[in-house]
Amino acid sequence: MNGTFRTCPVTRLKVHSAADGLIKANAVVATVALLVGGIAAILVLLTRWQVVHLLPANWFYRLLTIHGMNMLIFFILFFEMAILYFASAVLLNSRVATPRLAWASFWLMVLGTLIVEWNMFAGKADVLFTSYVPLRANSWYYLGVILFAVGALLVVCIFFGTLVIAKREKTYTGSVPLVTFGAATAAIIAVITLGHGAAIYIPTYLWSLGILKSVDAEMYRLVWWGLGHSSQQINVAAMVSVWYLLGALTIGSVVLNEKVSRSAFVLYVLFISMASAHHLLVDPGFGPAWKVWNTSYAMYLAVLASMIHGFTVPAGMELGQRLRGLTKGLFEWLRKAPWDDPAFSSMIFSIIIFGFVGGITGVTFGTEQINIIAHNTLRVPGHFHATVVAGTALAFMGLTYYVIPLIFRKQVAFWPLAKIQPYLFAIGMLVFAVAMTFAGTFGVPRRHFDISFSQAPFDVEFSPAVDLIMGVMAIGGLLAAVGGGIYILVTVWSVFFGKPLELGGKRV
Amino acid sequence: MSMHGLPRGITNPAPPIAPAAAAAAETKHAGAQTPGTLVLVFVFLAAFILYYFVNWKLLSFIWRIG
Amino acid sequence: MHTGMESPPGVWWKPAHRAEKLWVAVAFGWCLVLFAMMPFWHLKGGQNPSGVRHTVDPQAFMARTQEFINTYQVGTEGGIPVVEPPPGSDIYLIGMMWSWRPVLRLQKGAEYLLHLSSLDLNHGFSLLPLNINFQVVPGYDYGLRVTPTEVGDFRIVCNEFCGIGHHLMVGRVIVVDGPTGAAPGAGGTP
Repeated sequence: MNGTFRTCPVTRLKVHSAADGLIKANAVVATVALLVGGIAAILVLLTRWQVVHLLPANWFYRLLTIHGMNMLIFFILFFEMAILYFASAVLLNSRVATPRLAWASFWLMVLGTLIVEWNMFAGKADVLFTSYVPLRANSWYYLGVILFAVGALLVVCIFFGTLVIAKREKTYTGSVPLVTFGAATAAIIAVITLGHGAAIYIPTYLWSLGILKSVDAEMYRLVWWGLGHSSQQINVAAMVSVWYLLGALTIGSVVLNEKVSRSAFVLYVLFISMASAHHLLVDPGFGPAWKVWNTSYAMYLAVLASMIHGFTVPAGMELGQRLRGLTKGLFEWLRKAPWDDPAFSSMIFSIIIFGFVGGITGVTFGTEQINIIAHNTLRVPGHFHATVVAGTALAFMGLTYYVIPLIFRKQVAFWPLAKIQPYLFAIGMLVFAVAMTFAGTFGVPRRHFDISFSQAPFDVEFSPAVDLIMGVMAIGGLLAAVGGGIYILVTVWSVFFGKPLELGGKRV
Repeated sequence: MSMHGLPRGITNPAPPIAPAAAAAAETKHAGAQTPGTLVLVFVFLAAFILYYFVNWKLLSFIWRIG
Repeated sequence: MHTGMESPPGVWWKPAHRAEKLWVAVAFGWCLVLFAMMPFWHLKGGQNPSGVRHTVDPQAFMARTQEFINTYQVGTEGGIPVVEPPPGSDIYLIGMMWSWRPVLRLQKGAEYLLHLSSLDLNHGFSLLPLNINFQVVPGYDYGLRVTPTEVGDFRIVCNEFCGIGHHLMVGRVIVVDGPTGAAPGAGGTP
């Protein structure tokens, strides 16, 4: 057994030094990816805002690709690797299984990332996040993605290995905590995701080399979305696990009923991958019966799971607060909660925006027929910025405010800025996402360089409301960018220049 | 120098729940225990139902297809 | 009472409280409504993305579209042939880098079988301002039974990224009240 353990002065958990190191490394790389993706976001936004229309067409589509890959793949998956190490080794007081392989996997993921970044910035992969065949990128791009995915799959296996070791070495008693259970479901979905990824990126890679003659365009979309949507479901399971974690850390939120919460996670595993069909509802390759059954996750059972968590997460907070004396009226438990704890405010905004904006719009657009008025319009990015950005990313940002003291053992720098950061980001993203969904109802297309159509053969005139809505969208997006920028400033400064952690006046 | 701080969950963690209160909570209906959350989820459901059917109405305005 | 970070004490498979059971039942009922709406709309609603679907060779579809254009052309607009097919007929629209052809002139209230496909990459058929959207995939013929319900001069915007000319890709659909009397094959702009 290599490495040593320390005992956390706050949680009393035993932390393996390899877990400390791996969490830190993954969190740092995640933040770098967030910075790259965030700069790309601002430049893309200032181009879609026709008043500014900053970039030329080729750089617009290039930076849109860079934005998508950095945010949806590199930022979020590196952060999730850190969560997996936390939920297994740290929460279970266990050593990390095979630390050397864990570090090798990390470096493999970094290598894949660098290969992909190089190709994107060099203009060899102007294919957008989805890289729909017959659009073709440089072969190295696909290879970079494959290497990244192999590294991630290895980390997922190490997660499961750590769970086995912890059980065998009896580093905890009884069942694993709910947060670990949730992380395990995210890991299972990750295996499904990465399996689809291999199934589509390997043939596409071979096609890009000229070894395979062709890849059927519809088959590509079907299998790619088996990767693409399922990867978002990893994010959902991870986010919900983080909600339970943040509830515990910030206000000692209790678990209402383990059976109910765990069953809801199991529903995710069983049904969530069917929903990839909602990307194909207005595609010619599939019939209505297939579309209806799959888009509903088999009668909406995975949506039921989300609605269950939507109850149990706040209910656990409310019950915990009420049992500690906050019993006045319907909402004293919420009013008197620590709104100046940026992890708490992040969690609440994440829950509300994910549910009310992201969830409702997503299920609605995922209806076979309603998709006709939503597909490929700005309603779609409006939806997913509410789910994965104002939902998952915001929850992860909130968690960082505890990772800095508990893992990096630093105090949080620029604390007054940190306290308002979630408000800026959440409100900005909310305005941004809602404005996008409005613009989309007027038909504004997504992934589009110029909706003035100034050089097209026919004129296209949107409702005059669209200009106003796009302006509101831009303001929301820029506000969110300020919030994101503050997050990066606070975390980078704290980690590298922050004061060491002190509790009760003593360094710990 | 930049002002440092720590979140309250670290400097001032939530106090443990009194065992008597916890035991009482195990027996009462959870409905009585989390009324605020019940209100919130039903507000959510109302918003969901409204948004969903508004979109079917929007769909009905376009051409006949299929 | 324990948090999500702690192992649950003892046996955790316990009955749910009444409020939880109520919410799960209500939420499940809503899920069944969500599910039922889709088959319901297939039976009673006017808009469904089901169509007559076939695989097709892109070059063959291009040729078939050109044949359609030759038969029913009545003019040109913006360099694109305008066609006026008879109600009830099979009509063809092809997306390619970076145009939609032909321009369709259709009659309000008449049903057509619209064949959509692509010559090269994925394209996105987005009819504005109605906001009717379909994926146009090379190798697949999406045959949709469409009935225009209002007159107008509509635009087809491409909303699936298809390369550097993506934002130049605009088509046109004109819907008129009745037969305009223009003979098929006549040249010039109507």
